[in-house]
Amino acid sequence: MGATLVVALFSFTAQAAMVWSPVPVEKGHGGHDRRAGKSYLLENGDGANLHLISPKLESKEISAISGRVSVKPMGMDNYHALVAIRNIDHRHESAIRYVYMFGKPSKESPSRLMGYEKSALEIEPAPYAREHWRYYSSTDAQFIIRFKGEVIAGAEVIMQTSNGTRSTFTSDAEGRLTVPLPEDFSDVKAGRRANRAAEFMLTTEREDGADIYITSFSAGYHVNPNHWQSTELALAVVAGGMLLGGLITWRSRRRKEK
Amino acid sequence: MPVWKNLSVIRKVVQLLAFLFLVYGSVFVGFYSADKLSGAFPVLACAYDAKTADYCVLIPLQHQFGHRLGPALSAGMFSFSLILPILTTLGTFLILFVVLNKAFCGWLCPLGFFQEVLGMIGQKLRLKRTESLDPELLDRIRPAKWLMLGLLVVLFPLASGLGFVGSELGDPFCKICPSRILTSLAAGQLNQLYIDTSSLGYMILSILADTLFGLILVLSLTMRQPFCRICPLLAMHALFRKVGLVKLVKNYTSRCDKCGLCAKACPMDIREIHTSKEKDILFPDCTLCGRCVEFCPDKGVMALKYVVIPIKVSDPQYFKERNRAQKKWEGKQKPSRRVKKAS
Ligand code: SF4
Ligand code: SF4
Ligand code: SF4
Repeated sequence: MGATLVVALFSFTAQAAMVWSPVPVEKGHGGHDRRAGKSYLLENGDGANLHLISPKLESKEISAISGRVSVKPMGMDNYHALVAIRNIDHRHESAIRYVYMFGKPSKESPSRLMGYEKSALEIEPAPYAREHWRYYSSTDAQFIIRFKGEVIAGAEVIMQTSNGTRSTFTSDAEGRLTVPLPEDFSDVKAGRRANRAAEFMLTTEREDGADIYITSFSAGYHVNPNHWQSTELALAVVAGGMLLGGLITWRSRRRKEK
Repeated sequence: MPVWKNLSVIRKVVQLLAFLFLVYGSVFVGFYSADKLSGAFPVLACAYDAKTADYCVLIPLQHQFGHRLGPALSAGMFSFSLILPILTTLGTFLILFVVLNKAFCGWLCPLGFFQEVLGMIGQKLRLKRTESLDPELLDRIRPAKWLMLGLLVVLFPLASGLGFVGSELGDPFCKICPSRILTSLAAGQLNQLYIDTSSLGYMILSILADTLFGLILVLSLTMRQPFCRICPLLAMHALFRKVGLVKLVKNYTSRCDKCGLCAKACPMDIREIHTSKEKDILFPDCTLCGRCVEFCPDKGVMALKYVVIPIKVSDPQYFKERNRAQKKWEGKQKPSRRVKKAS
C-alpha cells in the first residue's frame, strides 16, 4: 500500500527519471530518514546496479525486489548513500539518496561521502540538512552540481515535489544551486508529527559528445514549524521574564535593606 | 597591574575565543557534526546553533535515553548494544573532562561567558550588585542542579521513550535551555526564539524557556552567574570532578578563620572554601575560575594546580595589585537608595 503510494507520488515525472523514495512504514510518521523507513523504492530503475556506500566509502552491492530495497546498517552511524547506476549505450543515469543509519560512531564527516564522486554527473548537497536539522518548506536548500569532478555553472535543474510543485533552477558561476523549498503543503496541522513529510526531487542532464548523463537527488522535507511557532509571542514572554527578573531583584533588595 | 598578568583578563580572552569558536566554529571546522570536536562537549555549546563547532553532551544523552533506550525497554528488548551509545557519549565526555575538569565551565562555556559579560555591563552601568546570596537561599537553590540533571536529562526522556509521558518531554532540558536561544541568536538565527502553540506541553516548555532567558538577561546584570547555579552540567561535572586533572587546593592556616576574602570573591558563593580545612577544595559548584586564588592575600595558601604543577598560587603582591585593578575597573559604586535617603 505504502509502496504504491510513493510510486503514485512521482508518477507525474515527465522525464521518468530514475529516483529513490522512501517506503512509508507507519501511519503518522513522515519519511524521516534517520529512524523510519529503511526500505526504499527505486522508480524507473529496471536494470540499474545498486550500491550502498558507507561514511568510510566502503561500497556494498544491494538488490531490489520489485524496485524495492531494504537497507541494513553497515555497522556504523552517520549518513550512507544509496546509489543506483544504469549505463545503456550512450545514456548514463544515476539516482542518489542519503540515508542516516545508527551504529558505532563512524568518526567520519558526511562531507567525505557527499563530496566523493558516486556518479559522473552529481547533485551534491552542500551541506545536507544535518542531524537536529531537516529540510523545511520556505527555506533554501543548497547544492553543488558536479560533472566528472568539475563544478558546472549554468546547469539547469528541475525540482519536483510530491505535493505537485515543479520549478527549474540554474546553478551559478561556482556551480552552486539554491533551491527554495516550496510552501506547498495543504491542510497544515499544528506540530511536526501531525504532518507527513513530503518528497522533493532534483534532476539534471548533461550532454558530453554522444553521451547523455542524467542524475537525480531526492530527500524528504517538512512543514516549516513557523506555522505553529511565534517569534512575536516569544519576544513578549522574554520581556515578561525580564520584568520578573527586575521584580525579583527589587524585592530582594527591599528585604535586605529592611 | 599589566593586563597580561591579570588572571581574570586572561580568562576573559580565553572565554571570548571559546565563544567565537563554539558559536561560529563550523565556519572553520566544517558543517557536519562528525567534523566537530566530540559531539559530547562538556559545556552548553548548542546543536541548534547552525554554526556551532561542537555541541554539548546533554543532547545525545537525552536522545539516547528518549529515542533508543526507552522505546527498546518498552518493547521488552534489552541488550548491551543499547547502552553502548550512552557509554560512548559518557566516555567521550570524560576523555575531554579529565583534561580541564570543571574549568570547562569557568573558561569555555558560551552561556557562562555571556552571564559574566552581562555582569560586567551591570558594573559599568553602576547597578548595585547582589554580591553574595544569603546562605539559606543558597542551600535551597543548590539541589536544583541535581534535579535538573536527574529529571530533565535522564528520567523524563526515559519516561517519554517508555511511553509514560508525552514526546514533548523527550528532550526537556534542550526545550528550556537558555544556551539554545542565546547561541542561535548569536549565530543570526531567529528560529529558536519561539512560543510553540502545537500542543499544551510544547507551549508550556517554550514559555518556560523564554521566561528563563528573560530572567537571565536581567538577573545577570546584578547577580553573578544566575543560571550556572541550576545548570545540569554543573551537577554532571560535580559527579566526575575527582578524576579531573585541574585541582583547586588550599593549605589551611589559622589566619584563614579571620579572612574569608576567597569566599567573597567566589562568583558561585561557595563559602566552604573559606571554612574548609581540607586540601582539596574543589566543591560541586566550583567552575574553576580561579578568583579565590587571585583574591587570597596569603602566600601559598590557595592554588590552582594541573595535577601537581602550580598554575596560579596566591601571593600578597599579586593580591594587592589585583585589588587595585579591580577597584579601578569598578569605579565608584552608586550609593544605594537607603544610603542616599539617610544622607
Ligand atoms: S539546547 Fe542546551 S542542552 Fe540542548 S544541545 Fe543546546 S546547549 Fe545543549
Ligand atoms: S554551569 Fe554555567 S558555565 Fe557551566 S555549563 Fe552550565 S551554564 Fe555553562
Ligand atoms: S571556588 Fe574559586 S575557583 Fe571555584 S568558583 Fe569559587 S572562586 Fe572560582
